[in-house]
Amino acid sequence: MAGYATLMRRFVGEFTGHGGVKGFLVQLFRVQETKTGALIGTDKYGNKYYEDNRFFFGRHRWVIYTTEMNGKNTFWDVDGSMVPAEWHRWLHCMTDDPPTTHPPEPKKFLAKVHQINLSGTPDCYVPFSTTRKKIHEWVPPKVSQK
Amino acid sequence: MLRLPAVSRALAAHSKGSIATTNNVRTSVRAASNMVEVFVDGKPVMVEPGTTVLQACEKVGVQIPRFCYHDRLSVAGNCRMCLVEIERAPKPVAACAMPVMKGWNILTNSEKTRKAREGVMEFLLANHPLDCPICDQGGECDLQDQSMMFGTDRSRFTEGKRAVEDKNIGPLIKTIMTRCIQCTRCVRFASEVAGVEDLGTTGRGNDMQIGTYVEKMFMSELSGNIIDLCPVGALTSKPYAFTARPWETRKTESIDVLDAVGSNIVVSTRSGEVMRILPRMNEDVNEEWISDKTRFAYDGLKRQRLTQPMVRDASGQLVSTTWEDVLTRVAGALQGVKGSEIGAIAGGMVDAEALVALKDLLNKLDSESLCTEEIFPMAGAGSDLRSNYLLNSRITGIEECDLLLLIGTNPRYEAPLFNARIRKSWLHNELQVAMVGHDVDLSYSYNHLGETTQVLQDIAAGTHPFCKDLGQAKKPIVVVGSSALQRDDGAAILKAVSTIAQNARASSGVEEGWKVLNVLHRVASQVAALDLGYKPGVDAIRKNPPKVLFLLGADAGCITRADLPKDSFIVYQGHHGDVGAPIADVILPGAAYTEKFGTYVNTEGRAQQTRVAVTAPGMAREDWKILRAVSELAGVTLPYDTLDEVRRRLAEVSPNLVRYDDVEEANYFKQAHELSNAVNQSLLAAPLVPPQLTVKDFYMTDPISRASPTMAKCVKAVTEGAAAVDEPSIC
Repeated sequence: MAGYATLMRRFVGEFTGHGGVKGFLVQLFRVQETKTGALIGTDKYGNKYYEDNRFFFGRHRWVIYTTEMNGKNTFWDVDGSMVPAEWHRWLHCMTDDPPTTHPPEPKKFLAKVHQINLSGTPDCYVPFSTTRKKIHEWVPPKVSQK
Repeated sequence: MLRLPAVSRALAAHSKGSIATTNNVRTSVRAASNMVEVFVDGKPVMVEPGTTVLQACEKVGVQIPRFCYHDRLSVAGNCRMCLVEIERAPKPVAACAMPVMKGWNILTNSEKTRKAREGVMEFLLANHPLDCPICDQGGECDLQDQSMMFGTDRSRFTEGKRAVEDKNIGPLIKTIMTRCIQCTRCVRFASEVAGVEDLGTTGRGNDMQIGTYVEKMFMSELSGNIIDLCPVGALTSKPYAFTARPWETRKTESIDVLDAVGSNIVVSTRSGEVMRILPRMNEDVNEEWISDKTRFAYDGLKRQRLTQPMVRDASGQLVSTTWEDVLTRVAGALQGVKGSEIGAIAGGMVDAEALVALKDLLNKLDSESLCTEEIFPMAGAGSDLRSNYLLNSRITGIEECDLLLLIGTNPRYEAPLFNARIRKSWLHNELQVAMVGHDVDLSYSYNHLGETTQVLQDIAAGTHPFCKDLGQAKKPIVVVGSSALQRDDGAAILKAVSTIAQNARASSGVEEGWKVLNVLHRVASQVAALDLGYKPGVDAIRKNPPKVLFLLGADAGCITRADLPKDSFIVYQGHHGDVGAPIADVILPGAAYTEKFGTYVNTEGRAQQTRVAVTAPGMAREDWKILRAVSELAGVTLPYDTLDEVRRRLAEVSPNLVRYDDVEEANYFKQAHELSNAVNQSLLAAPLVPPQLTVKDFYMTDPISRASPTMAKCVKAVTEGAAAVDEPSIC
C-alpha cells in the first residue's frame, strides 16, 4: 500500500515539482519531460544537474540547461556542448563524484570560460585552403605617396 | 541457292526506280549516267566515280576503323586498320585508298575483315605501351576505342616493346613518342595545312620515327591541331597535361574572340574552371582547326582578372569596394556633367550586347562620342555602307577565287584560319596570290609586288605589270588589312583598293553576286561596333576631351591620362587589369568571353554567340547588366531587363546582329567606290607594314593572351629556343 502512495506522490511531484503551472509548462516544452530528482549541483553558467537513481542507468543523471550562456539566449536553442568539462565527466558517468564535492584539479588547458560548439554558425572554424587559387585577381599597382 | 545480297539488290533497284519516277527526273538521269553503284554489306549505294571504299561506306553510315586516314589530309594508307573484304577479291583492301568499282560488294563485318583488323591491331599494340591509366589521351583515344571494338581479346605477345626518345617540339605540344603508331597524320598536317615542313619520318619498319630531324621547335601558328589529329597519346597538350579527364569535363559550344575570324570552339570546363579549348567543326569559318592563340590562351582567363569593383581613394590607390559604391559613383559622375562632356571607347573583345547598352546609355545622356579603338577611314562612304568594312567574299569565297591580292596585311598571324584557307586553295585550286606590303612568310609562295604605296597607285592606275594578271582573273579577290587602313592615309588607301577592286571586277566580267573588295579585321568586336554606329578611332575623344570617359574593355592604350583634362573621371569596365584599368578612377569588373552570352560578328559579318561556360569570377558581372544598373542609378533606365530584351534591341538597331550563324550580304560597292572618289587625300610614302610580322608577334595581342603564361612561354621559346622554357617532364 505504501508503495502505491509513493508512486502517487512521485506522480503528483512531477506536476508540482517545477514551480507552479508556469514552471511545469516551461519544463514540459523545453525538456519534453517532467521527471524530478535530487539537484546535485549548478555550474557557474546556471546549468542544473539532477540525479535520480530510481531511473535505469543512462537516464538517471540529467541536466536542465541554463537560459542564457556566454551572451547567447539558450532558452530554446540548447546544445549538448553547453555542459562544461568537469560536469561532463559526472553527467556521462565517467565518475560518481560530482565537481561540487570533488572539485577538479586545476589544469592550465581547462578553459576559464566554457565555449559552446560553434559548428554550423558563422563563427565556426574553417581550415585554410591547401588548393591553388583558380583565379588570380589583378593587383593594382602601388601608388607612391607624395 | 538463294543469295541474300542479290535479293536485296533487286529490291533496292526496284525501290530506287519508283523513287526516281515520282521524285525528280533530272537527278536520276545524272545519277544513271555518272554514278557507280556499289554495295556495302549488301546495301546498295550510288557514289561518284573515284570515291574511295571508305567514303562509300560512310555514305551508308558504316564507320570503318581507321588511324591514318583523315578527311582533310591526303591519303597515306599506312596504318592498314581500314582493311575490308571485297566480295570475290583475293585479298582484303585498304578502304581509305581504294577507289570503288561498279558492282563491288564491300563486306565490312565479314570473318575475313574482322580477322584482318585483329591482326593489324595486334601489330599496332605490339609496340604500344600500356600507358592508358596515365595517358592524357585516355577516354578519347582512337587506339583505345578501336582495340575494344575490333581488337582481339587475348594476347600472344611475349617480346619486349620498342621505346622511342621524346622530342621537345615547343612549349605547347608534349610528345611521348613511344606511344606513336606512325599514322603520319601530324606530318601530313604540317606539310599540307600548316605549310611548315618541320615534321617528318626517319627510319623504316620497326625503327620508323616521327620527328623534326634536328632538335627544333614545331613553329606554326596552327600547331595545336596536331594534338587533336593524333589518334593516340603521342602528341598531347603540354598546358593541359595531367589536369583533367575528358569524361569529367563539361563541354560548352562557344566562339573564339581573340581574332576576328570567330572560330567555333568547345570550352571544356571542370568545377568552374576552363580546362581546355577545342575546335568545333564549322565548314564556313574554321573547318576543324583553330589557331594556337585560341587554343592555349585560356590560362590568361585565370590571371590578372578584375574580380572586385575598385575605386581610387584619396591617395590615388585603387582599392576594392562594393558594387553599390561604384555604381553610385559612376552614376553621379555621369549626372554631374553635360552630355557633350561624356565619351566612351569600346575595345576589341566587347560583345554586341554591351556595345548597344553603352550606346543607348550615352545617347540617353545626350552624348554622341562613342568610339572604337580600331581606326577605320570615315572619309568617303566610311562605315555607312556595310560592304566597305566587311570581308565580303567570305572565308569560303577564297576556295572559289583564282586570284587573290593581299594589301598591307599578314593573314598568317592576323587571321591564321583565313590564311589556312588561302593555303588550301593555293594547294588544291591553283590560286594565285599576290601581295602589296611587307615581305612576310605566309607558308605559301606569292607574287610580292612591293611594299610602297606607289605600287598600289600603279595598280589602281593600271600601269603596273601585275594589272595584266589581274585583268585575266576570272574571280579576283582583293583583301586589305585593317592595319593598313589605320595609317594617316587610310582613306586614300581604301580609295586605291576600291579602285583596284572595281577595275578587277569590270575586267573579269564576273557575275553580280561576286564580291571583290574585302577588309580583314583583327579584333572581334569591330564589325559589330561599326554595325551599331560606333565611330571608329579615338580622334573624336582626343579632339574634344570629355570630363567623364567610359572605357569598355579598351586595352590598346589609345588614350592616356595625358590626352585628357586633369580632373577627368575615367571608368574602366572589363575583365582584365591590363592597360585600361590602371589609369581608371573606377573599375567595374566584367565577364570574359567564356563567362557570358555574347554576340560577336566576325570579319565576314557573321553573327555568332558565345555561351556561358563558367561563371564570372568574384563580383564580376555580365557587361550589359552592369551598364543597365548604371543607367538606372543615373536616372535614364535602359528599357531592357533580360538578355532576350537586349537582343530585341540589337535587332531593332541592326537585325543581322541576332541572325546567328548567318552572313548578311552587303552591297553597294559601286556607290562606295564613287563616294571614295571624293576623298581628297594623298598616299604617304611610308611602306605598308602590318604590325604582326613574325610568329613572335602573334602570341600576345590582347588582354587575355597578354595575361597568359603559356603565350609568354611561346614568345620566350620563339626568341630563345624551345630549351629555354623546357620543364622537366613528370612522365
